[in-house]
Amino acid sequence: MPLNFLEVWNNMKRRALILGSLALSASLLLSACGGSAASSQAASTSSEAVASSAAASSEASGESVQLTVFAAASLTETLNEIAEQYKTVAPNVELVFNFDSSGTLKTQIEEGADCDLFLSAAQKQMNALQDENLINTDTRVDLLENKVVLAVPEGNPADIQSFEDIGTDQCKLIALGNEDVPVGSYSVEILTNLGILDELESGNKITYGSNVKEVTTQVKEAAADCGIVYATDAFSAGLETVDQATAEECRQVIYPAALTASTEHADEAQAFLDYLATDDAAAIFESVGFAMVK
Amino acid sequence: MDWYPLYNSLRIAAIACVAVFFTGIFAAYYVAKLPRLVKGLLDVVLTLPMVLPPTVVGYFLLLLFGVKRPFGIFLARFGIKVPMTWWSAVFAAAVVSFPLMYRTARGAFEAFDEDLADAGRTLGLSNIYIFWRVRMPVCRQGILAGTVLTFARALGEYGATSMIAGYTPGRTATISTTVYQLWRTDNEALACRWVLVNLAISAVVLLVVNMLEQKQKGKTR
Repeated sequence: MPLNFLEVWNNMKRRALILGSLALSASLLLSACGGSAASSQAASTSSEAVASSAAASSEASGESVQLTVFAAASLTETLNEIAEQYKTVAPNVELVFNFDSSGTLKTQIEEGADCDLFLSAAQKQMNALQDENLINTDTRVDLLENKVVLAVPEGNPADIQSFEDIGTDQCKLIALGNEDVPVGSYSVEILTNLGILDELESGNKITYGSNVKEVTTQVKEAAADCGIVYATDAFSAGLETVDQATAEECRQVIYPAALTASTEHADEAQAFLDYLATDDAAAIFESVGFAMVK
Repeated sequence: MDWYPLYNSLRIAAIACVAVFFTGIFAAYYVAKLPRLVKGLLDVVLTLPMVLPPTVVGYFLLLLFGVKRPFGIFLARFGIKVPMTWWSAVFAAAVVSFPLMYRTARGAFEAFDEDLADAGRTLGLSNIYIFWRVRMPVCRQGILAGTVLTFARALGEYGATSMIAGYTPGRTATISTTVYQLWRTDNEALACRWVLVNLAISAVVLLVVNMLEQKQKGKTR
């Protein structure tokens, strides 16, 4: 009796028919996904952008340099767009992006991930890396400013109009970034200043995402009643925003950038970092709501 | 230490396990009787969750239950909102662990000596009686091992669960999502404690599987 799971598994493998139908259903699923959800399209466009830029630059010159850029998730749309534009500026540079929460990226850099340029959504992570001598301090600049907003799903089903409303019964579930995510710590700051954080925590009303895009998706899909994200993410995702944090509620949201200490392409990385401060790049950043730090 | 994740994980795994126990067994029983082509196709579909990344399962679950998706909108009419609730994790755990029960039960049923069932029929027993009083007891070890594996897999579910249930402390937090969040937020000490809890449970589960297999070997020899 095939009780051992391995035996069952072997039993299964013997069925040649399965292999055939596996291939069939795989192709069926692939074609089904072609026309499905917007979220999957958004995810694939970023990888396409990277892939196509790779192809273009390697064709343009024999000596292409691969730049690995670790960037806060909130920069996903803008940096992909700038990368397209940058292909004409420096065709020999192939940009490879890793978008995630700045906290995750910080940990990855600490663990020795290959990275040439780091764009963080908060000073905290950059400071930590600077203390560990993992970034080139001379190259560190404050690049962008963002705003923290309260976003709601289409139609605002819970009728939440302000940060204060989060504390009322209207809000059953709010999506936040976890403490490691910059937008999460900004959110904690706002909710603490309003004096409603403890109440939300004890009422189990907070669902934590591991980066700002996850929070954005949870709001967009109406899985949560509202969420605290950046103005730029709300804009890119077409979310309705009902409130924006004031200077009293939340400190300035500054995006610092720096070359890593371990980069082997310092010139190319510096050139790209400089390009991010040009008017051409600024136009793209500002189109979604970033402000350039002068 | 807040024990909610343990309680939540155990109830999710238990409910998923009970659901999968019955659906898996009946799927195994009926699929085996189908014509060859249909059987092959169904076999693939029912086993897919085992080889797919749980994130893919989560994606499909969200396509189905998402508040903005057709079925989710339909459910909302009855005031049912699935994502971000603790019981949405039951769906994730059940789908992902289903093939373990289905596969193991099928293996056991295929090894079942049909003469026993025929003998029962000559005695005028009903098929239902034969199934529960003859087939199931004979296949008991296999079914039990499948159940334990199902429970273990359901308990360890992370990918699909984090997608459909998210991480709401005190509500949807399970052991696996808690470990990830604690690790991410630099709370290694507490993450480590939950890792130990998880190790303990999994070790017990595997011990049970081994004991069942030992017992089985002793019986067939």
